[in-house]
Amino acid sequence: MLWEVGGGLAGIALAQMEAQAAPRKPGTHFAPKAKNVILIYLPGGISAIDTFDYKPDLVKHHGKQTKGENTITPFFGKPGAVMKSPWEFRPYGKSGKYVSDLLPHLAQRVDDMTFFHSMVARSNAHGPAIFQMSTGYIFQGFPSVGSWVSYGLGSENQNLPSFVVLPDPRGLPPCGVANWGNGFLPAQHQGVMFGDQKNPIADLRAPVAPAVQAASYDLLSQLNEEHLGAHPGDDALAGRIRAYEMAARMQVSAPEVTDIKGESEATREAYGLNDPATRAYGYNCLLARRLVERGVRCVQLFNGGHFGAPRINWDGHEDLRANHSRCAASMDKPTAALLADLKQRGMLNDTVVVWTTEFGRLPISEGIGEGGRDHNPEGFTSFMAGAGLKPGYSYGRTDELGYKTAENPTTIYDFHATLLHLLGLDYTRLSWYHNGLQRRLTDVHGHVVKDVLA
Amino acid sequence: MFDVAALKRLFVLVVGIVALRGAEFEKDVRPLLAAKCVKCHGGERTAGGFDMTSAEAFAKAGVVVKGDPAGSKLFQHVSSGKMPMGGPRLTAEEVAVVGDWIRGGAVYTGSLAVAKKKAWWAFVPPVKGPLGSIDAYLQAKLATKGLGFSARASERDLTRRLFFSLTGLPPTDADYKRTYAENVDRLLASPEYGERWARYWLDVVRFGETDGGEHNFERFHAWRYRDWVIDAFNRDMPYTQFVREQITGDLLRPKDPQSVAATGFLVAGPWDSVSAELNKDALMKKTARMDELDDMVTTTFHSFQAMTVNCARCHDHKFDPIPTKDYYSLTAVFGGVGFGTREVVTDSAKQAYEAAAKPFQVELARVQKELDSIEAPVRTRMMRERYQALDERRSGEKYRVPLAPFFNRNAFAPVTGAAYRLVISGHSGKLPKIDLLELKPAGLTVRDFVGSSQATAAVPVILPIPGKGTVSEIAWSTDRVMGKSDGQIRVYSLEVSDDGVNWRAVAGSLDHISVNELELPSVSEAEVVAALTDAARARRAELLGERDAWKKKLDAVPAPAMVYAAKPHPVEPAYLLERGSVAKAKEEVFPGALSALGHRPASFGLDSKAPDDLRRTALADWITDEKNPLTARVIVNRVWFYHFGNGIVNTPSDFGLMGDRPSHPELLDWLAVSFMENGWSLKWLQRQIVMSQAFQQWSALNEKAFAVDADNRLLWRMPLRRMDAEALRDTMLAATGSLNFERGGPSYLLQKKGGGGSYIYDALDNDGPAVWRRAVYRFVVRGGGRIFMDSFDCPDPSVATPQRSNSNTPVQALTLLNNSFVMKQSERMAERLRREASDVSGQVARAYSLLYGRAPSGKELQAGVAFIGQHSLAAYARVLFNTNEFLYTP
Repeated sequence: MLWEVGGGLAGIALAQMEAQAAPRKPGTHFAPKAKNVILIYLPGGISAIDTFDYKPDLVKHHGKQTKGENTITPFFGKPGAVMKSPWEFRPYGKSGKYVSDLLPHLAQRVDDMTFFHSMVARSNAHGPAIFQMSTGYIFQGFPSVGSWVSYGLGSENQNLPSFVVLPDPRGLPPCGVANWGNGFLPAQHQGVMFGDQKNPIADLRAPVAPAVQAASYDLLSQLNEEHLGAHPGDDALAGRIRAYEMAARMQVSAPEVTDIKGESEATREAYGLNDPATRAYGYNCLLARRLVERGVRCVQLFNGGHFGAPRINWDGHEDLRANHSRCAASMDKPTAALLADLKQRGMLNDTVVVWTTEFGRLPISEGIGEGGRDHNPEGFTSFMAGAGLKPGYSYGRTDELGYKTAENPTTIYDFHATLLHLLGLDYTRLSWYHNGLQRRLTDVHGHVVKDVLA
Repeated sequence: MFDVAALKRLFVLVVGIVALRGAEFEKDVRPLLAAKCVKCHGGERTAGGFDMTSAEAFAKAGVVVKGDPAGSKLFQHVSSGKMPMGGPRLTAEEVAVVGDWIRGGAVYTGSLAVAKKKAWWAFVPPVKGPLGSIDAYLQAKLATKGLGFSARASERDLTRRLFFSLTGLPPTDADYKRTYAENVDRLLASPEYGERWARYWLDVVRFGETDGGEHNFERFHAWRYRDWVIDAFNRDMPYTQFVREQITGDLLRPKDPQSVAATGFLVAGPWDSVSAELNKDALMKKTARMDELDDMVTTTFHSFQAMTVNCARCHDHKFDPIPTKDYYSLTAVFGGVGFGTREVVTDSAKQAYEAAAKPFQVELARVQKELDSIEAPVRTRMMRERYQALDERRSGEKYRVPLAPFFNRNAFAPVTGAAYRLVISGHSGKLPKIDLLELKPAGLTVRDFVGSSQATAAVPVILPIPGKGTVSEIAWSTDRVMGKSDGQIRVYSLEVSDDGVNWRAVAGSLDHISVNELELPSVSEAEVVAALTDAARARRAELLGERDAWKKKLDAVPAPAMVYAAKPHPVEPAYLLERGSVAKAKEEVFPGALSALGHRPASFGLDSKAPDDLRRTALADWITDEKNPLTARVIVNRVWFYHFGNGIVNTPSDFGLMGDRPSHPELLDWLAVSFMENGWSLKWLQRQIVMSQAFQQWSALNEKAFAVDADNRLLWRMPLRRMDAEALRDTMLAATGSLNFERGGPSYLLQKKGGGGSYIYDALDNDGPAVWRRAVYRFVVRGGGRIFMDSFDCPDPSVATPQRSNSNTPVQALTLLNNSFVMKQSERMAERLRREASDVSGQVARAYSLLYGRAPSGKELQAGVAFIGQHSLAAYARVLFNTNEFLYTP
């Protein structure tokens, strides 16, 4: 209740007003480790205990009921018996990290990864948990992680958007465009969706002949300059003229970035462009690298689409083996190729790759038999890779069966704070005035996970 | 440990800082005590029996030894950090202030309890000042900076500005010829006025027509709220009534669809149907309900009171005097409100409807029955064949194909029992039914079974299957003629017993694959029709014609209104929740509002049994009370904000400490009081504003004034304003002559839900008069696929938007250059120009009059003619749509 102090705090209030009037200029709060981010999101909830969080005890307890041991109510309310993973685990790399046979390609990259094994989401329902991972808030309508980065760091390339989104070619993720919305931040921080190769950005391609387009730009700029002459000094009018100049440049540079003719056959093969199972997502992975190379601050990729039948995301309620096998067939190889490619080009030195999902899956089956697994927001795995992180390192731990966090719980708030820290942004200071609050974009919780920093 | 030596060292150090002037109670100490101490030690709470809000109570507590800071408990505690308990330590300077004050005799004047309520400007009732007009207040302030108003704008600019402000549509040739005052009268009386101003209000109240979130279902009847708002603006409903109906309309006139629709306000926001309806986790479910209440409380107080009460959900408001208790008392106000669609009709009107509709319904049923008798057997046969084929294809696999009306089969290892039964613990429809069930190979059968009750997990329906023998398969049919809706079994287990006492399951619904895991067979209408006999096909065609005819007649009977609005919800006791957690319910709270305002008691004097209507009515009374210091100020400021692009308070939904301070407090008060005196009439207010000299100023930049007041808070000019998304779309449609003026009713779609249960709204590539209605009538999707208006800061209605951002981006430029809507309207513009002017220079001149309301200069004419000659008239129109002169209202 600061207001009670009345006049004594007028100075502070005034300072706040001034801060509001002059929006923050882009720039870091301290020296950054990374300047770009690639966010890879796996909607539906990929299982931790069937991928990177090895739980040998599951075999021992397979088929047993776990009464009393767990207080988790599965989303659909049908607790079954403990279910071992359908996949074998084996150790990889110098770190000896155990990875399941589901992800043979990513397994080869474990020495570049930094795992968060005790992630905690606030909801066991997709919607709120997805919003939390995508925007920091469990409600719809807040600025997305990519828009924070764009707002925080600004653009490095005036000819491309600062935040680009590559949805799964099978369809938009659950909750759709809200995953990359700008919320209450200005529209320039909204993720710009790249669609097909020919027309990567909506309305990018002029539906008129090049000569008409060129003449139109000329006439427009002539008319606008005259208008500006009659309204000298009005910043918005001058700004608009600049926006059209940028648009014209974007029409050239966006098709250039999506044209992969110059990529070698080895690269195509590595990203899986020659295989129908991996081609579409593989192209997105390759595009992510090309965008970051050209100074796009944040690229967000999705592996998995919306809900519905048949399932096209990781929400393996019915038959986990079939579901995750199908999804991994498209995700594993290209993601691993992206990590390898970034490393080989030295780009991992200033780029951070984030691989995450809204929650994991329970160690018990849903119902009876070897079925599916229900949602588990109490302990799941994500990884980051790249600049400023300890490579081949695992942080946090879940219990023997993978029900819950046993050590170092990492909330989504912590995860976001850590990511911003790597980019040289202080999550407590990255804020925007909205509806009565100087709102922290990451919400008011969380801390930087220092343990994972190199 | 209390380190006296360290304390003394600190004291010596800090006293030095304040000693220069000495601490004064009023200036230095009172604010400190108010901020740091009285929350626990004063008013209702007196922790440790210690009250700080008056001199007497303070003296009685004995925590101060006058003249001796080190010997005073107060000083010891604040310097050691023991106090404030649970809060941040005082800074060294603050400690010094306390010490200095004690040393100077600890003089305490007045009372903190009083200071608490009176201090904040927005809580002091507005009082009319000595000046008598908007212009007088503005000019007085400008004069103090050596500034004045700019000259009056040109008539052309004024006409465009007025139309943009009041209707969001461009003036016609005839409008340019009228006087300014005539246009003011006409526009305020036109229905386009309400369409423009309702759209602003819909931003404030986060109005959307889908739920948002994972499911994001449509709300097909939410448009009635939108129409109600438009109508309220057009009828100039007194603002107090406007508020009251939105909070309690369903209680005022429960059988009146209009009145009920007004409460669409309470439920206009997003709703998490998944957590509310599907989630099995009890705490998550409770949290979801608290989120619903939070949304109602938050929006009500943002919209009507510009107070951010939601900050007090987890802790006392950090800046404004809103304790958590106030917040939870507000959640109790809305305890009886839920989300949903309701039918609104009087009993007699409903009977009349039923009587009128009955004959057509009977005929429709007859026709449908015959249609079914033709189609269903064929369809069912084909479906069964396809399911059987699927079943055979998957015969080696563990799981059976899903349950379906015409195909239910489950095979298992043979068992031999003395008795069998089917336990049904979940079904769809009214009562579970089975036409024929068979256990094979023993051939045990049951025919025509109808369960006597609903089957649930808690109370299953048990069907004994007579006979014994060895069985390895169960099969049954439930609804052999498709298209009917008998209760379909969803959850079952087949149980066997050797003694009729102990039962064990041998097969069950969990053996079936979920529908999500494979694509089910289907039969298209064309396939059914192809399989019919010629005679049946002919008869079917006849029947379809008949059905359409009856349906048309039935549709012509006016049906009871369906309204998406506040829906009755069982009222549950409300509790203060520690840190906002439903797992940490503390004391019970009762309906009430903000304790800081004081124009009426914060508590409504209602107990936990009080019905919904008393709760909400009490809140409506509390807000619409003439003595409420916020209500009138907040709305006059909102209206002002949309006209000038600046508010008198620049945070229209926050009049608290984190919000803006009024640039012209006396003007705000004068407007608020005059507004109330004039019957809370918004049209009165609009007229005051647009008739003011301030509004009619020239928009050119004045360097001297710019140097003093770059943000134009003092209004030394009228700012240029970029058209907002809706005005831009509407204006383009109007300019090309395409605008469809059809008013009200269901929204038109620009996005559509895609796929079965996929819940993603893709942009539709549709065009034509049906979607050339005003933008306020579009179906507002939360999180939908990109549409023309998005890049122009048209907000997603998931959160309230009291002020839109006003961005200027290359993507915006691409949209306005290349979007299919623009291309189409450029063509339409070209057609119009050709229709209305015969030669090219005439067409250029006509384009200028339609888009800018002026004639082109010689140079402009020349450039236009040259461009059209080389390219096309449509390409020329496209360029003009992109010019700043079009986009910016002077």
